[in-house]
Amino acid sequence: MSKRPIPLSFILLAAVVVHLPLLLAKMPLHSYDATFHIFFASHYLHHWMDPWNVKWYAGFSQTTYPPLPQQWVAVLSHVFGLIMAYMAVQFAAILLLAVGVYRFSRLWVNERAASFASLASVFLGSESFLVYGAGQLSTTSAAPIYLNALPYLFDWVRYGRWRSFLKALVLFMAAAAAHHATLIFGSMLFAVPVLALVFLDRNEGEPMSTPTFVARTATMAVVGGIAIAVVLLPFWIALIHNPVTQVPIPHASRANFALSPALGINYFIVPYGALMLVLPFILFRGAAVRRLRPLLLGFWLTFLIGLGGTTPVGHLLLGRAYEVITMERFTYWATLLSLPFVGLLSSELVDRFRMRAVVGLTVAAAFTCGLGVAWIIYKPAEDSQFSVDSAAAWLDRDGHDKYRYFTLGFSSKISELATYTNADSVDGEWNSGRTLPELTQHGGAALTKSKYFQKQGLDALRAMLAHADHYGLKWVLVRDPYYDPLLSFVGYRRVDTLENNTITIWGKDGIPPAVPVNSAYRPPQWQGLMWGTLPFGSSLLAILVVFIPDKRRPRDEEVEAPTPAEELVPGRLAI
Amino acid sequence: MKSGRWLPIIIVVVTALLIAISVLHPNQSAAALADAGTTGLLRPSTTPEAAVENLAREIGQRHWGSAYSRLANKSEFTEADFQRDLTGTYMSLRSYATLDHFEVRPQHASQNDAQELLKLHWSTVVGTFEDTKSLHVVKNGDRWQAEWPLVKEPRVPPQVIPVNYLRWDVIYRGAQDDWGAQDVESPHVRIVDMHPLERGDGVLIMGELLNEDVVPAYVSVKATLLAKSGAAIATEDSFDKISHLLLPKQVTPFLISFPGVELAQVASVRMEPSASLIAASADPVIAIEDQKLNPAPGASLTGKLVDQSGQVVNVVHVLGTFYDKNGKLVWVADHYMDRALLPQVPASFTIPIPPDIAGQVSSERAVTAIYSSGGFQ
Amino acid sequence: MRFRHWCLVGSLAFATLSPCHAQSASITLPKQVKAGSPFSIQTSGSGTAVLYIVGFGQVLRRDLQLGDTASFSAEDIHDAGHYVAVLVGQSSTDNGAFDVVPSSPPANLSFLAKPSRLPVSLHDGISGAVYVFDAYQNLITAPTPVSFQLSGASGITQTRTVETREGRAWIQMDSAAKEGAAHFAVHVGDISSTRIIQQVPGDPCALRMSARPSGQKIELQTEPLRDCSGNAVPDGTVVTFTEAYDGKQTTVDVPLKRGIAQAELPAYNGAKISAATGVVLGNEIHWGKQ
Repeated sequence: MSKRPIPLSFILLAAVVVHLPLLLAKMPLHSYDATFHIFFASHYLHHWMDPWNVKWYAGFSQTTYPPLPQQWVAVLSHVFGLIMAYMAVQFAAILLLAVGVYRFSRLWVNERAASFASLASVFLGSESFLVYGAGQLSTTSAAPIYLNALPYLFDWVRYGRWRSFLKALVLFMAAAAAHHATLIFGSMLFAVPVLALVFLDRNEGEPMSTPTFVARTATMAVVGGIAIAVVLLPFWIALIHNPVTQVPIPHASRANFALSPALGINYFIVPYGALMLVLPFILFRGAAVRRLRPLLLGFWLTFLIGLGGTTPVGHLLLGRAYEVITMERFTYWATLLSLPFVGLLSSELVDRFRMRAVVGLTVAAAFTCGLGVAWIIYKPAEDSQFSVDSAAAWLDRDGHDKYRYFTLGFSSKISELATYTNADSVDGEWNSGRTLPELTQHGGAALTKSKYFQKQGLDALRAMLAHADHYGLKWVLVRDPYYDPLLSFVGYRRVDTLENNTITIWGKDGIPPAVPVNSAYRPPQWQGLMWGTLPFGSSLLAILVVFIPDKRRPRDEEVEAPTPAEELVPGRLAI
Repeated sequence: MKSGRWLPIIIVVVTALLIAISVLHPNQSAAALADAGTTGLLRPSTTPEAAVENLAREIGQRHWGSAYSRLANKSEFTEADFQRDLTGTYMSLRSYATLDHFEVRPQHASQNDAQELLKLHWSTVVGTFEDTKSLHVVKNGDRWQAEWPLVKEPRVPPQVIPVNYLRWDVIYRGAQDDWGAQDVESPHVRIVDMHPLERGDGVLIMGELLNEDVVPAYVSVKATLLAKSGAAIATEDSFDKISHLLLPKQVTPFLISFPGVELAQVASVRMEPSASLIAASADPVIAIEDQKLNPAPGASLTGKLVDQSGQVVNVVHVLGTFYDKNGKLVWVADHYMDRALLPQVPASFTIPIPPDIAGQVSSERAVTAIYSSGGFQ
Repeated sequence: MRFRHWCLVGSLAFATLSPCHAQSASITLPKQVKAGSPFSIQTSGSGTAVLYIVGFGQVLRRDLQLGDTASFSAEDIHDAGHYVAVLVGQSSTDNGAFDVVPSSPPANLSFLAKPSRLPVSLHDGISGAVYVFDAYQNLITAPTPVSFQLSGASGITQTRTVETREGRAWIQMDSAAKEGAAHFAVHVGDISSTRIIQQVPGDPCALRMSARPSGQKIELQTEPLRDCSGNAVPDGTVVTFTEAYDGKQTTVDVPLKRGIAQAELPAYNGAKISAATGVVLGNEIHWGKQ
């Protein structure tokens, strides 16, 4: 059996074979957040230069969420329509991930192991989980861009090549424009092991002094920081203007998986899949090989944070942010950091056991990927298999859209409804975009899911209903009779039913038509202009810049398969 | 290479320690999520308090089977009886209530038995309610078990209750009608009493609204506080502190809250009662028997509701209006019944009266608003 | 629309000024035209010309030979108002104005009657307003006699005639003493429009109840409730029975059914039982001491 690396073209073809049919079948539409991104994209489609979106929360700023993937969806929707444009952008992110993992792994392992790592990324459980279950377009778009940027960072800090500096810089800018949490937390978890690797390698080949290392790292940090600050300026302004001080909202990814095993399956078993079997190898090989230790430690830290409330690490390190962001993205990053080890193990297994290893690895990969894809079908969190077309049509007819509305029991369908109706809502799914005090003063997420947040959620619901007049909140679309007693006791009446009586529309008399809420958080026009040009422009720039050819690396810069110094180190399988 | 040899062990040990710390001392959100999803926070029932706490947790997680299996007197009733005792037989606020928190207070203890007071604070769509149980806990071997004081829900004997069904239907003008075409007239309602009060953190506007028409009215009252300059200070409406459906000549109290406003700021109040004509039914008729004003301490209005028709009422909202000896309105309070009201079966209610108001109260009037899952129209 | 109208008129008028030395084109206009009537405009001069008729929301154009008569059919102009005619010839122009007035027989009425429901015996409680239009929905501003007729269930009819002012007429009338649906009609010429006014009983004039024992309970029943004009108070009206005893109280809100309200309350010796509906109080019964 050949010991050559797997060609990248073959890996990309594997990604096409595995993911293209799933995306053409619109599988991500079953996920929690896909429609959320489509909703944001639909706003960019109609108001590219105005990030103020009145369809949720009586008005909120989309500058609270980096726009790049959604803007690409908006652009491509002119050709494919919104839904297929979403699939196209997601597909591009999957392909970019395979390339990014290959390039990132090359920093740590040889070309053959890196190619196995890249192929493993196609079947990564956490990727499938985020794409098809969570619908996290931004997270799964930003990470591949970072992974592609890191080799340039290495090249710049280690060898001081300005071409690499430029490429790393524009890729960091594009990645930051794709997702803020990846920028703030993920970039550190990826970049620090790479910088540590540079430091460890400083005396290999062309020597590098410590002050040079510090200066180059600082240069990238400062210039990159300034560039990202400018590209995302409206985001930072929004964050400073409206810091996330709202009451924390519980999220299952912050559970203690030892105490909540069911959630452990969701947030640990499914994303890791067969990768769990690799953990001992990661541990022992990572510890045994000096060059791999930064990667091991980076993986371990990310792994611990990804465990949510199972360890106190996330809470201790992230502080207040722990209660705001969700933890499954750390698991995703941990699995990405583990891929060089996976590539290493796979190549060694194939070299040693040949076809038996190929069969075993293929089954493990297929199982891991399949479980990640199918989990949302096996365990749909809420009943979301219903059409909102009739609800959107009802809101748009007979002047109903003069008033605001919200839904109860619509789960993540509220994004889809908001995309297709002209009517405005006081609810939404983007918690950090909320500014209405009725929502921010209580620890419930979307009103439509109030009951799942118990007293906190129901308090928010009652507070909103109490101020129905103020917001022109005439309609409540209900798909869960749980809420009916409250609506009837606070003065709403059933006015219509839809979808074979499964959706009831409640209305309240005497509500004045909705008027725009005069919000202090509305970004001025210049910010809209920046938001419409710089993030998207940074991605165009990145596409242009990466086409500048690299200088051919000297042979002494190539990384060979790292093996432990001692043959008897546990975990070493290669002979 | 020494560090490389020890590193896996250090990582494994530290990871295990961190997991152990979080299991023993879960952070707030992890504990909340564990409560919602598992029985992980249960501890051995080696004390009466632990036994009752474990029982409460199982109830909170709706693990009826596990909770039932923990009971000392489970032979006296079935698991279904136990579940019905907690959730009700018919759809009611209890059916979908979630346990917000609970308290356990020891009352007395000996070597083999103890008395514990369990207060279950349930969260429902219309607010919270409290369910207090005094539990006898006995020691069986090395563990304690609680006896559940099951209250069997009375059953109505099978019968036919004739109801002369009275109902109003309305035909509204159509969208295609000429602009001059007549529409049905909105019901005429009138505020017959109104009284502002400064209390605690704000101003309250209390009053009574009469439907003086001959058709049912769906009512609401909005109030705007005006400053001396005529500027509006705040506008609020009666929300759920009113009976929205008023039959002809029926009166409802209302209470409007303005948190954070001082009465001294208010020069006048603009009241806007609104009424719309709706299809409605005059049934069911609910009598409020044995109403009694109980003096302080623990001042309250107690009574019994009797559904005189044959229809199950899923949620009853009792509104009490309290007057001083001159007949002046001094307080409005309310209470949601957590169990469904069954035909002909009396159900007790208690509306607490604040201690500072209780001394002024001389008489009262109670009315009910209802919700039935089939709709009350 | 108005702005565009005047722009058009202005530009056409401007066009008339330029060749002022030409004298050949001129028009003779009728002073007044009835909406929906055919009419003609006589031109004089020689050569070809274009005739424009400009009104609010409507412009007509005719290409013609000067000296011909431009004829307009009944369908051409049916909106009342002021119209401008501009004749643009090859070397000269002329213009003038005429009015289109509503056609004389009223054809449509918009009748607003309020309220649609009111208590009996209410002075000036019913108001009606009518707008008179021709067949083309032009408001007829010429004074027109309008007859209002209110006929109640008792057969008594009130009739009053008023003349329209600026196309509208209004009136106030009393509701009848007897309940029932009243027909409120308006007649203009041979057209009419009718609204239904529901005249409903007023507050009960007196509320009397009686009590009799029924096992462990007291059966309470009101006498048929009537208002001060003798009309039966409608079913559904709520009567509140209150029984006070030993510091306790029992209340029940009962709707009238077939004119009476019935309730059963626990029987306590010495209990004081009262009834009320709205703001009207009834008699009191002392149980066990009668």
